[in-house]
Order: sequence, then structure tokens, then C-alpha cells
Amino acid sequence: MSSTTINNVPIPKTRWERAVPVYGVTIFNPFFIGLVAMAGLALLLTAYRELAGLGPVSGMNDKFGWGIWKTFNVTVLTAWGSGAFSVGIAAWVFRRKRLQALMRMAMLTSFLAYACGLFLLGVDAGRPWNFYWILFPWNWNLHSPLAEVAICMSVYAMIPLALENLPVVLERLWHFDESFQPAVERIEKALHKFFPWIIAAAYLLPGMHQSSLGALMLLAGNRVHPLWQTPLLPLLYLGAACFMSFGCVAGTTMLCCLEWKRFMDMEVLEEAARITAGLIFGWTALRFVDILLRGAFGTAFHFDRFAGVFWLETFFITYGGWLLLRSLKDHKARTMYLGYALSSVGGMVYRFSPTTLAYIPGPKAIYFPSTIELLVALGFVAMGIAGFLLAVKLFAILPAPNQEWRDMAHYFKLRKPYIRWTKYFNFGFFGDKLPTDSE
Amino acid sequence: MAITRRELITNIAKAGVPAAVAMTVSTETLQAENLPVPNAPVGLMYDASLCIGCKACEVACNEANNTPPDTRGDGLHQSAADLNDLTRNIIKLYKSDDGSVTSFVKRQCMQCFDPACAAGCPFQALHKDHETGVVLWDGDKCIGCRYCTITCPYSVPRFQWKGFDPVVTKCELCSHRLAKGLKPGCSSVCPTGAVIFGSREMLLLEAKRRIKKNPGRYYQDRVYGETDNGGTQALYLSRVAFADLGLPELGPESVPARTLRWQKRIYQYFALPALLYVGLVQVIRKNLKGHEQEAHERAEETGLRAQL
Repeated sequence: MSSTTINNVPIPKTRWERAVPVYGVTIFNPFFIGLVAMAGLALLLTAYRELAGLGPVSGMNDKFGWGIWKTFNVTVLTAWGSGAFSVGIAAWVFRRKRLQALMRMAMLTSFLAYACGLFLLGVDAGRPWNFYWILFPWNWNLHSPLAEVAICMSVYAMIPLALENLPVVLERLWHFDESFQPAVERIEKALHKFFPWIIAAAYLLPGMHQSSLGALMLLAGNRVHPLWQTPLLPLLYLGAACFMSFGCVAGTTMLCCLEWKRFMDMEVLEEAARITAGLIFGWTALRFVDILLRGAFGTAFHFDRFAGVFWLETFFITYGGWLLLRSLKDHKARTMYLGYALSSVGGMVYRFSPTTLAYIPGPKAIYFPSTIELLVALGFVAMGIAGFLLAVKLFAILPAPNQEWRDMAHYFKLRKPYIRWTKYFNFGFFGDKLPTDSE
Repeated sequence: MAITRRELITNIAKAGVPAAVAMTVSTETLQAENLPVPNAPVGLMYDASLCIGCKACEVACNEANNTPPDTRGDGLHQSAADLNDLTRNIIKLYKSDDGSVTSFVKRQCMQCFDPACAAGCPFQALHKDHETGVVLWDGDKCIGCRYCTITCPYSVPRFQWKGFDPVVTKCELCSHRLAKGLKPGCSSVCPTGAVIFGSREMLLLEAKRRIKKNPGRYYQDRVYGETDNGGTQALYLSRVAFADLGLPELGPESVPARTLRWQKRIYQYFALPALLYVGLVQVIRKNLKGHEQEAHERAEETGLRAQL
């Protein structure tokens, strides 16, 4: 069985051509159960928070009105999870076609990051019952960055991003039972008709709210350290989201390939690494030019925690970028993964700084998250990871060579009688033409 | 095939021309735009040099607003350390490092002409009263996001940290008393006339009269709030530097006007995002068409259902 392209060039065995579920592994392993337990605990604690108020459960105070729920789980993690935006634009607007192999991973991680972030945003709001005003546009304060973030983020996660993820679910239904197929095909056809509009919204809205997240801290004025406070904050926040999310998508995919023994298509990963490195160095240059032009560079050499955080960020981001460039030469997955991981961590610190590490509301103001606050924040992260593990095992998300799909079909063919009998919703039936033994 | 340079430039040009037009148009309207000025702005004028620190205004404030005294400090005295969920108004003492210069300062909402708290408030819970110019808080619209505590350059709005139904506490210039023809609680009890209530115009005249009468008595012979932060309705006179009293030097431009300039321009009439959206739809529609074709060809070739 040899696949060839139009030009009769043989396709390498490792080439990612198809999304294939992770099969043949248990879903409810101890790690997964641990994650679910953490998420459950977080939900219980949020119930307590709704009754007791924010003070008893968090380290937030009059000076630091925002804690890690907003500044980490929303500001940082949605940036890390904006892969559906950045990888999507590269693949569909700038036509980097090979990156389409990563799109399902990007859309899933984005959806989970946004869903968990939005949920926690609701928990963090002191008077969440007033959120219904979101339905009355004449009551919006259109010039408020926070209104822009709240409205745009919820609309994005609930409509374009959810619809982008729908084909994966439909595909699962199509393969699940033959009787579903006509209905599924009808829905798919309708969905494809509206896809350009849906996808365009899915690229416009994150561009708006990821930059507005930066605009949030503009109003804080001098209370944000001059190394971070700049009129370019929205642009820099957006740029950081772009390279971080590339790291998230490509890095997570590499980790999954390692864990579940999949081939890594270095062609795709190197294309992503090239783009990420370009973004990183462009972003860093922009940031340094901005700092120099504003005359704030001197503060980077003061011996204080701000300068420390600044150089830490710069080191992580640029070293990560350099590792990515090196991986293009030595073709080592290890170097590349390290590059993605470091640049993402650096980007995370950058997105976290203006709201917390470099925010100076008063001379003696101090904030450190309380235990409950940390448990809830981690619980919501665990919820996202658990959702991810469930999704890659139930749906076709992870990219793989075509052969992987055939292997999976063989695997389930052997177990089909049992699965059909119990109607067990665990890749029972993939409905495809199986290759015969002679092939 | 990746996008060609020619295509990229054409696409940018296609999107850029109308975008540039929209930007210019909206910029002009913004330059002509002025801040809506309240019809009859009222405010407080506080002369720190007259204040004796008796804190009668603190007690009167809690009484007027029907708020219990904040005795959380020692369980006996009303002794809040700063503005908080039970304290809309507070007298603080400034002491220089060597202790030679001291001054009291009364802190409450400055009732800015262009309040940063209202500029950031997502659903207009904090808003300026058209008539009096007082910055009011509407509990039916507040989602409790605490953005006002981040944006206010004077750190005035305070959030209630305990309880399931938290409120935002800030001085609303005793609007309920003004409606009845009464003065705000603080100014009605001040024994030395350090804080007086009136229309902003009259207060400004009075402040300038005091400066003229006592040249050199006041810091920089200047009224804080006349132009600071775009103008505030609470005015301050002081012997010591305003920054020492917790009134930062923000310049004549208000914080929202200075920092949200681009945010406002980009989202003016939603023109730019709409144009960008239309451009994106065009590009994606074109790219999707070719992609679907290829996917079906691959499906025929491999016998596996196309994944789009």
C-alpha cells in the first residue's frame, strides 16, 4: 500500500495526514482520576466562595483587587490557548497548508482554555447575576477594555470556537453508527456553507480581545512599572499570545506523540518552529525598541525585583526562540520541545507581570494567593487537562499518518463483536473500508 | 503553497485603503469630541491648612450613609486605616520623614470630570450624573469585577470582600441628601470650614480668593483639581505637596483620555473590525474552496473519509 502525491513522489511514512484518536489505552487511569478529583474539589470550593465572598477564600485585598483567577487563569491561560487563532491564521490566511495538521489540536486546546477561563471569570466576579446585561448592547460601555474582553471572549468561545470544534464531534457520530450518517452529512453540509464566516469571526474576535487584555492595564497608568507600561501593551499582549499558543499547540502535540508513541512529522513541526522563532524575535525587537524609545531602559539595571522579572522573561523568551532556531538545523525534537516550552513559560511570565508582578498599587501593598485560591486555580487547570485527555481518546484530534487509522480499524475489528453488543461508546465502529490482507 | 508576496501586498492594500479612510474619518470626529459636562457640577473644596483632624466628618459620613462605624481596628473606636467597604471618607495625617511638616488630608471620591472608574466599568454601573456630575454606583449593573479599584488613580472605590452580595463603596457626595436640599454629611459638620460644599464654579472662586488673600501660604499657589486629571469636582488646597497627600500629579489630561486614545479610535463605530472581518471572509472563502477539493481527492485515493 503506497501512497503517492500527484507528482508520484512517495509520501514519507511519518507524514501527518489524518487525525486519529488515541486508542487502546484506558481513559480512567489514576492520573485522570486525580485530575477529576482536583477539579471536583475546585468546584466544591467555588460553591463555598459564592456563599462566603471573595475575601475569605483569596489573598485579594483593597490594593490588589485582582488575583490569580483573573491574572493567571484568564489573562495567561487564554493567551497560551489561543492556538485556534494564531495557528489558524497561519494555516488559512497565510496558507501554510501543512499546519492544518495541527488545527484540531489548536481548536481543542483553545476551547478548553477559554471554557475554563470563562467559567473562572464568572466565579471571580463579585456580582455574577448581573452578567445578563451582556444581552443588552445599549448598556455596554463600548470604550471599556474590560467590556470588550468580557463580551468578545464569551461570544468567541460560545459561537465560532464551539462551531469550529463541531466537525470533530460530527465525524465521531458519523463513524459511530451507520444510521446517523445521513443526518450528520446534512449538518456538515450546512456547516461548511457558513464556514468562511465562522472562521473569519474566529480570527477577528481573539485578535480583539487578546489585545484588549493588554489594554486593561493601560488605565492603571503609573501603577504599572515603566518596563511594562506602554501604549503598545495591546499589541505586545497579542504578539505574546501568538508565539505562546504556537508553543502550546506544537509542544503539546509533541508531548502526546511521545506519550502515545506516534510518529512526529518534523516537516510540520519545523514549519511551526520557524514561524514561532520569527514571531519571538520580532516581538522581542519591538519590545526593546519601545522600551528604549520611552527611555525606560535604565530601570532594567536597577537591582530590584522588576529588573529581575524583566530579565527572566527576556531570557526565557529569547533562549526559547534561539533553541527553536537551532532545532531547525540539528533536526532534534528534544531541542525543539525545549524551545517551545521555554518561550511559552517566558510569554506566560510576560502576560502575568503587568497585572501582578509589575503592578505597584502602593508602597507596602502585597498580594499572595491563598491556599483555597491556588486550589481553585489549579483545579480549573486540571479540569482543562482532564477534558483534553478525554477528548483525544474519544475524538480524532491528534495528527498521525494514514496508516495509523488503518491500524486502529484493525484493532477495533478484533473487538467489534463485544463493542457492538454493549453499545459501548468507545470507538466501537469506524465504518471504514478495511484493507484486506492482500493489500 | 504559502501565500505569495504579491498576494500578501494586494490583500493588505485591499484591506488597508478603506481602513485608512475609516481611521481618518473617525479620528476627526474624536478630535471634535468633547467631554460631556454636567449641567450644574457640585463638589467639595477641602483646605488642608484649616483642617484640625477632628474626624467629625468621618462620623457624619457614616451616619448620613447609614453605614455602621468601622470598629474592626480595636473593636471599640471608629478607626479605619484607609478607605474601605465601610468608610467613604477618611482623615489621614501626613508627616514628613523628619517630622517637621505635618498636614491632615481628607480623602474621598474626587468626582472627576472624566472618571477612569466609569471609563473602565463594563456595563456602566459607575456613571456620572448628568445634572450634578456626581459619580454614582448602580448595584443592578455592577458585576463585581473590581476593575474600578485598579483604574482609579486615587484608589477610591472599595470592594466588600465578605458576603455573597458584595457592594462597591465610594463617596457619592450624599446624593440622597442633595435631593432633599441638604448638604453632604461631611461638610455640614466641619467645625473650621475646612471642607465646604457648593457648585464647582463657586468653590473654585473661593479657592482662588484664598490663594490671592494669602500669597505663599498654599503649595504652588494652585488648586488641585482645577485641571488635574482633566478636572475634578473635589478641589484641594494644601501647604504641602499634593503628591505627599496621596494626590498624584497626573497632568491636565484625564487618565482615560491619555491611555485609551487608540482603543477608542480603533473601535470607533466598529468600522475597522467590520472591514477586517469582510476581508478575512474573502480570503478564507477562497482558501477553503481549494482545500475541500483536495481533501476529497485524497479521500478517493486512500479510501478513508475526508477530514475537513
